Amino acid sequence: MSEIRDGRMRLTVLGGFLGSGKTTWLRHQLHHGQMRNALIIVNEAAEVPVDDALLARSAELRVLPGACACCEGRDALVALLRAICDARVGGDDALSSLDRIVLETSGLADPGPIVDTIRADPVLIHHLMVDEIIIAIDALYGLDQIRHEPLTLRQIETADRLVVTKIDATAGLELARLVATLHALNPGAAISGAVMGSGADLPDHTGIEPAAILPTEGEEASATIAATRLDLSDETDWPAFSVWLSALLYARGDDIMRVKGVVRTPAGRLLLQSVRKVVQQPEIVPETGAKPTDDDNSVVVIGRRFRAEDLRKSLAYFAGARR
Amino acid sequence: MCANCGFPSVPGHWTEAGASTPTDRLRARFRRAQLLQSVLPAFGLSVHDDGATPGVTLSDRTGRHEMVGDVTEVWRAAERMSGCVIDPLDPRFLAETQDADGRDGA
Repeated sequence: MSEIRDGRMRLTVLGGFLGSGKTTWLRHQLHHGQMRNALIIVNEAAEVPVDDALLARSAELRVLPGACACCEGRDALVALLRAICDARVGGDDALSSLDRIVLETSGLADPGPIVDTIRADPVLIHHLMVDEIIIAIDALYGLDQIRHEPLTLRQIETADRLVVTKIDATAGLELARLVATLHALNPGAAISGAVMGSGADLPDHTGIEPAAILPTEGEEASATIAATRLDLSDETDWPAFSVWLSALLYARGDDIMRVKGVVRTPAGRLLLQSVRKVVQQPEIVPETGAKPTDDDNSVVVIGRRFRAEDLRKSLAYFAGARR
Repeated sequence: MCANCGFPSVPGHWTEAGASTPTDRLRARFRRAQLLQSVLPAFGLSVHDDGATPGVTLSDRTGRHEMVGDVTEVWRAAERMSGCVIDPLDPRFLAETQDADGRDGA
């Protein structure tokens, strides 16, 4: 998506439970020159920040201590992001060359509300585009946290990319089970491994049974999350699809974790992304070549408590309105 | 494009993306109204878009009406006026073939 040039900074949200290795992973990326043009924001729930000292290699660093950005620290996050955008547009030398913000959340943050907040802010929406949600998972304690911390589940469900950290700390089968479980919880996310932040191969999880996730909040966590790919037929134009999706998210937004895809419209290829009930303003992405690709006009819906077949039938019903 | 900050003007509702010319925008707008009108009558509601004033007007059989700004607002108002959430996965929307119930094609 880096080819899109609309003046907005890209925002990467880096999350993960307490001690999952977010800062170590980020530090390694910075050390290797990744995210060179990124401003790093570290949010810590504690009053005394420590992570900032570890991230000295970043181009620019801001710290947001004392409150979690997904709940009581939301206003502070918005104020900080607005100030950054303001300074950048105003020609601040240090900021004008940057094209990305990486927000490292506190371990207790749910990325969903953070993305909602940015999306709902009338100023930030013009300056920032949420690009990717990366979640770090501890190889050793990850399964335990998934079982006992509903927050870990919410973090995993909203991720675009899952990084299993400290994979040298656990044996092959346990690790494969964690990977299989992550895959079952969020089939749409890319999963990679890391040791001290550098990439490492994950074991093959084919044929490994995902761990049974016990209900944590009533039946909330027990319903299986599935990814459904919807290929849009010619009669499903963008108005039909968007009216249908808006109804679906309104009625079932709490069960639909992510919707992602590229839809063809008269204006061009539209990139569509949502996190729970909030849909990011779709934007036009460049043509990839002369011919439409296989991924055009298809959308992945990731969520629970619905059948793939019902989604298709319902969409076909909505799209069937006489023209 | 905003003359002050150089950024595009306030984006509309996300469902209104995908049309860059005035003709396409108007066509998409009427198509949306038509789609809504194919769903809402089953809940005792109807929708009208005159193509000129912003938003659409939602009315029920008692003559109550509400003007709403975008499609998400339509679902919210529809829930308020009809007393139930319009769920696209409700069995009535899962029929293989469409029937004429509540679908007047606007």
